[in-house]
Parts: sequence; structure tokens; C-alpha cells
Amino acid sequence: MRVFFILLRKELRSYFFSPLAYVIMAFLMILNGVPFVLSLIAMQAGERQHSLVYFTFNSGWFWMAYLLLFPIITMRLFSEEQKMGTIESLLTAPVRSVQFVLAKYFAAFVFYCFLWLPSLANFLVFEAIGDEAASFSTGSFYGSYLLLVVMGCFYLAIGCLASSMTSNQILASIIAFSIILLHFIFGFVHFFSTRMPAEVMERVTYTSSYEHMRIFSDGLLDSRPLVYYLTSAILLLIATHQVLEYRRWRV
Amino acid sequence: MIRVQNLTKRFLSHTAVDGISFEVEEGEIVGFLGPNGAGKTTTLRILTTFLSATSGTATVAGCDIFSQSLELRRKIGYMPENVPLYTDMRVKEYLRFRAALHRITGRPARVKVGEVLDICGLKDVRKKIIGTLSKGYRQRVGLADALIHNPELLILDEPTNGLDPNQIRQARDLIKRLGESHTILLSTHILPEVEMTCGRVIIIDQGRIRASDTPANLVGKLRTARTVSVELKADAETAAKALTGIQGVRKLIRQDPVNGWTSFILRVESQADIREDVFNVALENRWPVRELSQKTPSLEDVFVDLTQPVAEA
Repeated sequence: MRVFFILLRKELRSYFFSPLAYVIMAFLMILNGVPFVLSLIAMQAGERQHSLVYFTFNSGWFWMAYLLLFPIITMRLFSEEQKMGTIESLLTAPVRSVQFVLAKYFAAFVFYCFLWLPSLANFLVFEAIGDEAASFSTGSFYGSYLLLVVMGCFYLAIGCLASSMTSNQILASIIAFSIILLHFIFGFVHFFSTRMPAEVMERVTYTSSYEHMRIFSDGLLDSRPLVYYLTSAILLLIATHQVLEYRRWRV
Repeated sequence: MIRVQNLTKRFLSHTAVDGISFEVEEGEIVGFLGPNGAGKTTTLRILTTFLSATSGTATVAGCDIFSQSLELRRKIGYMPENVPLYTDMRVKEYLRFRAALHRITGRPARVKVGEVLDICGLKDVRKKIIGTLSKGYRQRVGLADALIHNPELLILDEPTNGLDPNQIRQARDLIKRLGESHTILLSTHILPEVEMTCGRVIIIDQGRIRASDTPANLVGKLRTARTVSVELKADAETAAKALTGIQGVRKLIRQDPVNGWTSFILRVESQADIREDVFNVALENRWPVRELSQKTPSLEDVFVDLTQPVAEA
């Protein structure tokens, strides 16, 4: 456990000591600020059915930034260690590969959560200075952020797996982005095919991130997506561990 | 300290390590010598549990490489080839991090880090970012890292690789000094290094052990078997046949003829001096002789003799 925290600290340090962290943060602030402002303008125009949080997290701007985020955060995690050879000095020290994987993953997770703080501030400041209670509903606020955290667990795990597979960071980010994008687009399949039976459509929406966000940001908390994302994340992390172990047993 | 039995590592297309067995006793400095691609690094990686072996067993510092890998790693200090380091960390910070991985924290860690900085001559650069250091300093950081937890055994993969002659000398002195209190297994392809620092040499080539002895003995073995080189103006085939016929010639290496002159290197079994016989053969056949000399070998010759595939006539 102690080794885990030492590694976690080292990983967090390398996240926050690099300019990358602040560039990503600025990038995310802009891409989240735009839908926020646009929603405000839209809400000024007249009555809306949904809240400000809903509009912000269901815009194309949000999803564009969101899907791009994960390859950038995770691409260097394992690739860099393999490229620099530091994985050799690390795994010949008394470090279990489980600790290694989990420390990397949780460092990325902590960093990811940190990245959402500015957007959180957007809403809190808005609530403090405006008295538009209807535009800011508690359910949609907590729902959105809960889903952001849980969905992040899943997408970060995809990034980890991609990064463990290659020593090339660019390749790792492309693999991660492709998988993430495919998963995201898969949630829209029912839009493309009109002849799809109802029960298949239901299965498809079960994995649709877009659909989940729509429901959660309306304040409707459903346990099924949470279970889906968390169990998938665990599965992906086990796979990451296996990929790294494979290196040792490779023939 | 190290016991290796029939260790084999097979990669898909080739066998990197082919059933090697050797032992290293406590307090020894053993040099692992071989050309590039001989299987040195693979062997060291197996011994440090970074790779698994295909078959065979080994115990290092009393721990089995398969079943007690974590305990094993606590007892050894390993410096991998090319010394991988986190280039964005400062020297002291990196060593503190490595100490913490070995469960050395707080005051003992401060003391220990100061100690290894001292031993490795890193005091002046302790606050520098590793990425800005020269190769020589990085090598020393790697060594300091390997020493941080007081290991009984040091495994160093090409510790002087890429250093300039002055740095090589410094590194060699440092290794010698460390050898007084540690068992050391180091790999290298630089011969003088082994001759000067190691008590014993294991020569490995194409995944097999070719020789294992003290440097002096290895050279001695060959010294009784000298080489004679002779350059003749004659038909290469007939000359080769005639020269092989001389009593005591163990091996004949023929070089390509240049302007009718052909050089032969004769490896001689016994202590006998065959120069006279060579002269007589040349005289009988009326072959002009341009060169005839006898050489006693260096460790380099032992190395080349054992590891280089030569065209035999």
C-alpha cells in the first residue's frame, strides 16, 4: 500500500509539474466555457425545458473536448516508461505490477477530476450571483458530475490499456481515441438504422454515453450505467495488467 | 550469491540464452563478457526478474527468481543498460523516490541519500534535473540508485558504456571500491575493464558460456598456445595443406591473398616453437617468406578466439 502511494505521488507530481496539465486545463475551460455562455444566451431568449447544466453537458462542444481529453491524459502513462526503459528500473525494484498499474491509473483519475474544477466553478459562481433557481437544478448538477466521474473511470481505463500496448505515445493516443470514438458512436447506431428492432435498440442505448449524459444531466440517476462503466473499467485495468505482465513472459 | 542452472530464454525466432549454468560466490567481482547480442543483457534481466526464463532455475541472494521475486529485488541493486532515469526529476528527488520504494523514508533516507551522493561524486549536481546531466553523471546516478538500499549484490549492465576514457577510469575505480563490500556481477564488452576490475570472467557468446576463469588463467591458457603468423608467396591451397601438416599446429586461419602473398595465422597447441618448421616448409617448397612472427595472446585474443566465428582452412 505504501509503495502504491509513493508511486501515486510521483505520477501526480509529473502531471502537475509539466506544462501539459495547464494547457489541457485551459483547453477544457475554453471548450466548456463556450457551451456555458451559449446556454446562457439561449436561456435569456425565453423559457426552456431543461436546466443550464443540461445544456452545457449536452452540447457538441462538450463532447468534442471530452472525447479528446482521454488520449491526451493517458497516452504517456505506460508508453513513456517503456520507451525510456524506466519500466526496467521500476519493475526490478520491489514494486508489484498491480501497484504500478493502479498508481498510474489513479494518478490519471485524480488529474482528470482536477480538470473539472473550473467548470464546477462556472456553475457555482452563476448560482451565487444569479437568482435563477430554475436554471440550476440540484439533481442535474450532482447527476452530471457523478456521471462525469464514473464515465471518466471507464474512458481512462481504455487509455491505460492503449498506452500499455505500445511504447509510442502517438500510437497509444490514436488507439485510445479510436476505441473511445467507436464506443461513443456505437451509442448512435439506432439513429442510422430505422429497421432496428426495439429490443436491440434498447441494448445499444445501454452503452450510449450520450444517452447516459442526457438522463443524468436531467437529474435522473440510473444505477445501470454506473455499474456498466465501473465494471468495464475494472475489466480494462485487468487487461492492462495482463499486457504488462505479458512483456515478462514474452517469447 | 548467484546460482544459475541450465537457464534458457527462447524468443520466437532465436534462442538468446542457451542452457547456461554458472555460480558467483559472495565477495567476488565477476565480469560477464561477450560481444553485442551474446545474451548478456537477457541473462541479467532474467536474474533481476525483469524477464522470465523459458526453462532452468536460478537463485540470486538466496531467493528463487520465480517464486521469491519480490524479496530478491530487495536484496539486489541493478543498473540496467543505458541507465534509464526519470529525466524530469532532480537527482536528489529521484534518489529519495527510489529509497522510498525500498521502504527507506524519513531520516534514514536523508542520511542514505547523502551517503550515496558522496560515494558517487554527485554532491555538486544533486539539485540538477536529471535530463540536463551529462552521460557520465547519469551513469553515476544509476549507480547511486543501485546502492541506495544497501544491497548485498550489485548487478551492473555495461556500467562504463558511453563514457569517455577519464570517466571510465573513475567508474572502474568506483566499482573496485564497491567490490570491497559488495558482490558484483557486471557485464561489458570492454576488455581492459574486466582485466582490471574483475576477479573472474565469464565469456558468453551466442547464448552459451565459452569460458569461465580468472583473467590471468584465461590468458595463461592461451599463452601456452601461441600463435604464429606467416606471410608467404605461394598457392594458398597447397600452402595451407603443408602448414597444417606441421606438428603442433592446432588451427590455421587463412587470409585472402593480396598480390600473390597469403597470410596465415597458426594456432599452436604445445609450447613448442614451430617457427623453424615453418621456415623449413617454406624452404622446401621454395616459397618466399615476407613475415614470420610469434605472438603471445592478450585477453582480447582470448575473447576473439572464443567468440568470433573464423574461416578455417
